[in-house]
Amino acid sequence: MTAWGALAGGAVGTIVLTSALRISQELGWTRMDIPLLLGTVFTDRRGRASVLGYAIHFTNGLIFALAYYAVFRAVDQAGWLFGAALGLVHAALAGGALLTVLLPAIHPRMGTPWSDAEETPLLEAPGFLLRNYGRRTVIWTVLGHVAYGAIVGGFAAQLH
Amino acid sequence: MERLDGYAPIREYAVVGDGRTVALVARDGSVDWLCLPNVDSPTIFGRLLDAERGGSFRLEPIGPYAVERAYQHHSNVLETTFATAEGRVRVTDAMTLTDIGRISPMRELVRKVDALSGSVPLRWCFEPRFGYGRAETRIERRAGRWFAQAGAEAIALGVFGTEEGTVHGDAVAGELRLASGESALLSLAGASREPAVLPGREDSERRLERTMRFWPGWVGRAQYDGPWADAVTRSALVLKLLTFAPSGAIVAAPTTSLPEWIGEGRNWDYRFTWLRDASWTLDAMLRLGFHDEAHAFFWWLMHASRLTQPELQILYCIDGSVHTDELELDHLSGYRGSAPVRIGNGARDQVQLDLYGAVLEAIWLYAQEVGRLDGDTGKEVARIADYVAEHWQDTDNGIWEVRDERAHYIQSKALCWVALDRACMLATEGLIPNGKRRWGEAAKKAKAFVDDEGWDAELRSYIRAPDMRELDGSLLTLALLGFHDPRSERIRGTVEAVERQLREGPYVYRYRGGDGLDGEEGAFLTCSFWLVDAFARGGRLDDAHALMEELLGLANDVGLYSEEIDPRTGEFLGNFPQGLTHLALINAAVSMADAESEGRERAA
Repeated sequence: MTAWGALAGGAVGTIVLTSALRISQELGWTRMDIPLLLGTVFTDRRGRASVLGYAIHFTNGLIFALAYYAVFRAVDQAGWLFGAALGLVHAALAGGALLTVLLPAIHPRMGTPWSDAEETPLLEAPGFLLRNYGRRTVIWTVLGHVAYGAIVGGFAAQLH
Repeated sequence: MERLDGYAPIREYAVVGDGRTVALVARDGSVDWLCLPNVDSPTIFGRLLDAERGGSFRLEPIGPYAVERAYQHHSNVLETTFATAEGRVRVTDAMTLTDIGRISPMRELVRKVDALSGSVPLRWCFEPRFGYGRAETRIERRAGRWFAQAGAEAIALGVFGTEEGTVHGDAVAGELRLASGESALLSLAGASREPAVLPGREDSERRLERTMRFWPGWVGRAQYDGPWADAVTRSALVLKLLTFAPSGAIVAAPTTSLPEWIGEGRNWDYRFTWLRDASWTLDAMLRLGFHDEAHAFFWWLMHASRLTQPELQILYCIDGSVHTDELELDHLSGYRGSAPVRIGNGARDQVQLDLYGAVLEAIWLYAQEVGRLDGDTGKEVARIADYVAEHWQDTDNGIWEVRDERAHYIQSKALCWVALDRACMLATEGLIPNGKRRWGEAAKKAKAFVDDEGWDAELRSYIRAPDMRELDGSLLTLALLGFHDPRSERIRGTVEAVERQLREGPYVYRYRGGDGLDGEEGAFLTCSFWLVDAFARGGRLDDAHALMEELLGLANDVGLYSEEIDPRTGEFLGNFPQGLTHLALINAAVSMADAESEGRERAA
């Protein structure tokens, strides 16, 4: 079990997660666009926001892989199945708090349930379980994060 | 003001709001409509739709009184002054804006009472009914407040400067008598799925002051110095109230099921964003110079419609979701017995091709203003234009959401031409990928269809559909959107035909033919303002001026309009206040200002 393995898994897992969400967006299953949500913290130019958002999301993916690795070390166990279970917890954190509560709270261009006539936010908040972006969003978010966790767990266990 | 079976005339309501929800306040001081926490949430006060079960918050003098009311100058803060034999008292109603940097109630309705002269006895009654009157409401007193609760929803009533009141069954009621110069304050703090924030009197007063300052500051940003400025300002303030600040969506009206004819079933839920109406609102906002609101709505539009693009759904929920399932609430009697009461809107499944013209026109105006469209947005717009090029020949339900069989509505075809024309213009400017050849060809065919199949030489007018040889008020939009020169023979002929067949005084009906529904309906105020607009663009300035003056006289005492009006009685009908009517007013006034300005330039 190595940190480099976890990082490699984090890189591959983030690509898989982001691609899965992008594909589900193109297929009309969700309006969830994590790079756009992250990038628009810094700019209101869509194109720039997407590029910046991809970089931020990729970095986040690596940081979370290290957090996974810390858990693997703590329990002295790693593998795709355990990683997938952590991915489920990760999805709950992302869908229940990170994207739904914390991001709207710090995002300068995102509305919150408390936004009033004084504000003109550019982005709607994801809402509980991300359902404002389409009812099926939560399914793809959970599946994407479980896949991410499985990949990180698998890589961390395999690479020496 | 007299109530009929407990119902106030729709004309007697004023609206206050905070950009998230609104309250309707009757002339007799009763808050008869309030949805919490958002404009599309279930009601807590719904007396508007059931005088007995709906719930309300009443506040009025004991004994006979006369009423005067007005909004505070250029604001959405309402002042109702009651005059009695014992003196005068003023009630100030507002939904306050959130404090910056301090914890505030999720939503707050403040009712401040100022004794102006003498000593007027008043009574109040707080009768909350959660969940459209279905949920069991529990009332208790805690922490110096009255708490009403149902499930995870709660509202706390703070009574300051007078006695706290007593519980009577499932309501709280009290009386107050203030000496001249004294004031009292009633604060309703709403909480949904979170702990209630309990404001003290100073907190509520401070937010009220801030709210009073905000509105004139906001509307003061308008860049309009044309005629009828007061009516334009009021309409802009209404549109701002209809804008749901957390997402930027714009609802058609903040109510459901106010009937298009008393006692009948044409009762619909308007607490959704119709892309057509909202796109025209964006036009109006841009024409008045409210760029932030236009910008926010444009982002909402492009984001909300992503699930269905390139096809656009005709209406969306304010949170951007596409699920608007229609339900009937059988336990509510409806406004003056006008059942059923509906929530949700089944028109979602209709095909209305005209909305593509409204949306592309809005995008074109927005792009002109901003000077750019992002790459992804440009591609999305091009895909929508491709969709129109492929589908303009389909039948649809038309702008009026006819629940009959679909038809080849001429207005829909003309608006498809508008969509394709604006797409070509966007491509020419390099703002979207170039599809000019296919869009241009389709535009040419759509225009030829309208001119060949939709023109009736005998009537000297465009008609509703090739197989419906009748007039339609929506054909006036051809004059507004540049289908032909507004002074051309065909547009002038159509405007004159609409006058002949659909106009009665200041009133214009949508159509005289069928629409697949039983019952009658009133005259459609938006069509009257479109007629003013068409007159102004066609150079008939005197006619435009005269009609506009008549229409302004039809507003209620605080400058608001509903969707329709009964020409025989002047009674307001339909959901209230109606965004489409107010934005048509703005656009008509701006067109008039433009026409007068052009006239002056020509004369110079």
